[in-house]
Amino acid sequence: MTDVGILSKLSESLRVKWRERSGPNRKAGDGKPKADTEADKLFLRARVIARSGDIDMALRLYADAAALSPQFDAAVEAQGELLDLAGRREAAMAKYAEARRIRAAMRQGAPDRPFAVRHRGNFRAEVSSYDTVLGSLKKNALPYIARGNAYLAGGKPAQALLDYEHALKLKPGLLDVQAIKAEALLAMGKYDEALTTIDAVVTARPSDSEALSTRSVALMGLGRLDDANADLNRQLALLPTSQATARACIALRLAAYELAHAELDSVIAKHPEDAYWRLYQATARLRLGQPLTAAQAATPDSWPALLLSFLFGRASEEEVLAQADSDGRRAEAWFQFGAHQVAHDPESAKRRWRQIVDYAAPSMIEHAAARNELKRIGA
Amino acid sequence: MFSVILYGRNDSHGYNLHKRAAISFNALAEVMSDPDDEILFVDYNTPEDHPTFPEAIHDTLTDKAKKVMRVLRVRPEQHAHLKSKTHLVALECQSRNIALRRSNPNNRWILYTNTDMLLVPRVEGESLSDILGAVPDGFYQIPRFELPEMLWEAAFDRRDPADNLRKLRDWSVRFHLNQVVHNFMPMKYDALGDFQAALRDDMFAIHGFDEEMVLGWHCDSNLAARLALYRGRVDTLIDKLFGYHCDHTRVAAANNKGRQTKMNDQDRYIWDVSTPYLPAQADSWGWPDVTIEEVRLDRETSYQRFTAGLDAAIAPATVPYTTTSLEWQLYDDLTYDLPHTLPFVCDQVLTFPRSTSVLIGATRADFVTSFAKAWKGMGFTGTLLVPDECEGLPSDLPGVKRGPFKELINQAHLFIFEFGIATQRPDEPVRCGRLASPVDEKRLKMLAKLFRQATATEHETRPTGRRLPRRFIGVNVIYNKYWPLFTDHVGANINPFCSQVLAGIPREDPSLRGKVLRFRGRHAV
Repeated sequence: MTDVGILSKLSESLRVKWRERSGPNRKAGDGKPKADTEADKLFLRARVIARSGDIDMALRLYADAAALSPQFDAAVEAQGELLDLAGRREAAMAKYAEARRIRAAMRQGAPDRPFAVRHRGNFRAEVSSYDTVLGSLKKNALPYIARGNAYLAGGKPAQALLDYEHALKLKPGLLDVQAIKAEALLAMGKYDEALTTIDAVVTARPSDSEALSTRSVALMGLGRLDDANADLNRQLALLPTSQATARACIALRLAAYELAHAELDSVIAKHPEDAYWRLYQATARLRLGQPLTAAQAATPDSWPALLLSFLFGRASEEEVLAQADSDGRRAEAWFQFGAHQVAHDPESAKRRWRQIVDYAAPSMIEHAAARNELKRIGA
Repeated sequence: MFSVILYGRNDSHGYNLHKRAAISFNALAEVMSDPDDEILFVDYNTPEDHPTFPEAIHDTLTDKAKKVMRVLRVRPEQHAHLKSKTHLVALECQSRNIALRRSNPNNRWILYTNTDMLLVPRVEGESLSDILGAVPDGFYQIPRFELPEMLWEAAFDRRDPADNLRKLRDWSVRFHLNQVVHNFMPMKYDALGDFQAALRDDMFAIHGFDEEMVLGWHCDSNLAARLALYRGRVDTLIDKLFGYHCDHTRVAAANNKGRQTKMNDQDRYIWDVSTPYLPAQADSWGWPDVTIEEVRLDRETSYQRFTAGLDAAIAPATVPYTTTSLEWQLYDDLTYDLPHTLPFVCDQVLTFPRSTSVLIGATRADFVTSFAKAWKGMGFTGTLLVPDECEGLPSDLPGVKRGPFKELINQAHLFIFEFGIATQRPDEPVRCGRLASPVDEKRLKMLAKLFRQATATEHETRPTGRRLPRRFIGVNVIYNKYWPLFTDHVGANINPFCSQVLAGIPREDPSLRGKVLRFRGRHAV
């Protein structure tokens, strides 16, 4: 048996084992971190198998990886590439299109946040690519930074931190890396350490709007709302009016709804397909005491359009919460519940917003906005 | 939907540049289908007296290519501040940023490629506009496939892009052309700079290409590194289109000296990149405050301007031909045929910026009058500066300014010195042994003095901020007694007598004779 044959045989047994472990009635997304890890392993194995020439086995492994982790666009795209190589053009094109659909559906992080924390999705392929680079280039910063960013985007801040620290060992004092290191620390909930790290960056670069954003989150996490707001205001002042999306987000964090409303007008004109902007504009109108307009209504079958439906009285809290299947969505829901209730039941609103402050990540728009709302109503 | 950004200059970069560039321009236009699509060609540092590269090959371009192309001309004077930092005559990052700054804001995508690429959508009939319109936000690259020189040179009809794309579809299979060359991330593929599609918004956010990179090479890899950081990934469009490169290594291009090639530092610009942003050039990338001329190939062409100018200045000939002679016994005869000479003078100035101001030292009033009409007709807006010392010339022409030579010389971007006979009548036969009258001699003497002064003091009399030497055009300075004078002071080519015109910049003759000439010119001795 050739080496390739042994590899394929081993891969097939691994594949079977993983399938069995996943269980016959397993639902996609259950036990997600583990499923993602398994998907990652399958993906990596598939890559090796593909290079060895066993396209059919590699295709099966990629398919399993994608089944385990439905958002794993790289696994889907890799199937497309292999099918294309095998001359199965139509099937290949379908896989490429599917990968792009997954990517298009993935909403990027808030545009007022640093670039490295705006990425969303599965970045296992990038991690693997930079692993390869690091096999040959060990003394340069970029592969560590890029791999760290991929880890950070993939929800692995501890691994990201190791890479950033490695980059800083190679290039001590690199402020760009310190800034993203602070983000990794924030993601790990180490706000004090993050603040110390980002302070050095802001001191050296007082006009770095992304660093100010990072520091505002650290301060928010430490409950220092006034300091956080001061950084947000500084960031706002630095951003040109052409960056309306980022400016709108900062205004929302500050619960400065007049400004948010004005910025969102141009944002919606440019991105009419993005329901979040319409939701946030409806929120701003609600908080400014203005009636909601029909133009803000949306079909209620998807998130966050369901939240809009809630604001229009077409969906109940229960229906909304039933679809709030992540910490982020729950925080978004609680915020809208509060905004809806504050005029007639301020105590309920306070409770909702307090929940956000207690449970949601300080990097969320809703977290900062809830803190500012609570301060405003004296809670 | 997208702006294609290309750059180059009117020179001979690599083998058979004109053919592969025409093939490429036409093929790129062929895959455009959105009314906002455009090809932005930055013509960087082409000599002032040359047309831009696309103008030089316009007859080989399709109507569609001419329609979508905007040529942004960067003048040598605008490059002068970078000249000491680089051995290159065309700078990629500056060029691409100049185009980006001036790209159509309606377009979502910017496509960086080069003037030797053909992009072939895999689905026949699909355009690149369709493709880019349908893909999600991202940073996209494709692998580059090589096309042997024989194929594109021998088989392509440069004005038939549709057939060229069809041939490529055939050859790719018959000749096994499609080989993907993978590369380390963030490059993803080899020769990545031949297709990098980025969002226009992203390019503005990261401040364009890095303008510190003035030594050539790796600008594409630097962009890939920075966009990979910014976007988190590098995506592919290999399922949508293939890119073919017209190989041109029979003759090495100026930036290819084998292992001795000077390059931008790979570590600094690729492997140690730590941020997508370039804060040091955040406000200056793409030269936002610099006026960059735009040339179109589908309107107000050089030919249209040239003919408009001449039609305004001269009437059509009424005889089949006229005669002159370069026989040596006529050496002192300075008569010449103005209507015949004027087109050659206009030819020398047409490619200069429209705002150019010209100092005209002349003897013949009809020369100044005719040239002023042509100048206006060609669309120039700059002033014609006529020194008071040149007597007998008109002073009431629109666009003409009279004044002391010493005042005017500092305002001139270009010089024309015309050595004729003031007393020549329009109907007078030329080169028949006519001698100059005392009035003619007096004016010619003054003119020669001004010419010597102008060339000898050119360096210190340049308009404020100007770095490069100004050009001198000599009219009626071939095979007559002003030929030695003009060529002693100006480094001009040998031109045919028939054109009557020589041109060049002041000579830098380090010999004793050269020094004496400059001393005499400076001090009007």
